[in-house]
Amino acid sequence: MRKLSFGPKRTGATRLLGLMFAALILTVCFAGLSAPAQAATPAEQFISDNVQNGLSILINKQLTKDQRRTQFQGFLLGLTDIKAIAEYTLGQYRRTASPGDQAAFDDAFKDYALAVYQSYFDKFSGQTLQVTGSYPLPPDETVVKTVMIDPKKANDPKPLQVNFRIANKNGRLAVVDFSVEGVWLGEMERSEFTSYLGQNNGDVPTLTAMLKKKAQQIK
Amino acid sequence: MRIFLRLAAIAAGLCLSACSTPSPSALANNDPQEATNREIFDFNQKLDRWTLRPAAERYNNYVPGQVREVVHNTLTNLNLSVTFANDVLQGEPKRATQTLSRFTVNSTLGVGGLFDVASRLGIPEHSEDFGQTLAVWGVGEGPYMVLPLLGPAPPRDTVGLVVDVFFDPTIYIPIKQHILWMVGRQYFTLLDVRARNMETLDDIERNSLDFYAASRSLYRQYRANEIRNGEPDAPPPKD
Repeated sequence: MRKLSFGPKRTGATRLLGLMFAALILTVCFAGLSAPAQAATPAEQFISDNVQNGLSILINKQLTKDQRRTQFQGFLLGLTDIKAIAEYTLGQYRRTASPGDQAAFDDAFKDYALAVYQSYFDKFSGQTLQVTGSYPLPPDETVVKTVMIDPKKANDPKPLQVNFRIANKNGRLAVVDFSVEGVWLGEMERSEFTSYLGQNNGDVPTLTAMLKKKAQQIK
Repeated sequence: MRIFLRLAAIAAGLCLSACSTPSPSALANNDPQEATNREIFDFNQKLDRWTLRPAAERYNNYVPGQVREVVHNTLTNLNLSVTFANDVLQGEPKRATQTLSRFTVNSTLGVGGLFDVASRLGIPEHSEDFGQTLAVWGVGEGPYMVLPLLGPAPPRDTVGLVVDVFFDPTIYIPIKQHILWMVGRQYFTLLDVRARNMETLDDIERNSLDFYAASRSLYRQYRANEIRNGEPDAPPPKD
């Protein structure tokens, strides 16, 4: 009869298996550790409150589809600083654009951005956002970190990360950008717009016309 | 035949564009071969529209969700050796431990990787590759590049792609060296990624003014986030 040996004569395979299970135990121990709870900062509270406000519109069954869209667009306009986002996305071309062209671009961008945001929220199916923390972005901005909780994926150990960049202008908080898994939408739009302008001799009215057309297509 | 002609034209374009002067916009975006990259991007888009997208659509429509999940889990489990090797090379013991634990749990309790039991036990999934390792070691991305069939692949990530092949133990198993194994695995990996991101990619394309520029920004930001392991980033300053 062969004796089972767990001493120094262990084979490479059993050693590897032992190492793997040791790793498993360590990981489970690490997973059990959690950070102590801290009081929410004003920016975190701002996002928490507005997530609830936004959700209450999205799940309100008494509203028709059009009413929901209108209310939600009003909510988004109150939550974000669309003008600041528009200015950012125009990049270096903002400096050379005339005030009239800038104003026309801001209007077209507002329609386009609302159409884009609305198209994302139209796919809403019960998810919610949970604030997990924040960090300051000098001089007067904060990034609020959240994770998306999807009821269809209970106990997901790696929920989707959604972060919000909050600006504080004279005590008024507003969202100036947001990211999903580290991809900032404003940065992506800026890259697109400046690339488009680069191919069209920096002509802002051409971009404005294109934005209007695109907003209609998305709607 | 047309595809080969197109590839030949792109190759010729690559040679010619090496001599041409990049536009200021291309230089500003660290994309000196932008004109050629756009050509290759268009070619990849057409290839996607004709082959990969319809296949991914059929895959989503006709293959049950549970079966697709099993395929995804198996492919992910097969790739864990690459992630583990790069976790170690990056000096990340905690993440290496997680990867080893995921492999142990999913290969045993998860029946050879068919089921993702590790996630249910709270061991999160992450992915590493040698391109990320080079970035952690301080190697820059290099000029933006798009490769036929492969998509965005700046020099650092292209090198990473090649090195990662050697971290995959299945290439050292003689029976698995068969070309069908490699091609089949790569095809299902592509199909899985395309099918899982169908809606997201459609949304970005529909909302884009310039899908090439949007994809470039998306790729760079997403890669940067992967390199930081999802840790807080410093978004660009608002000027």
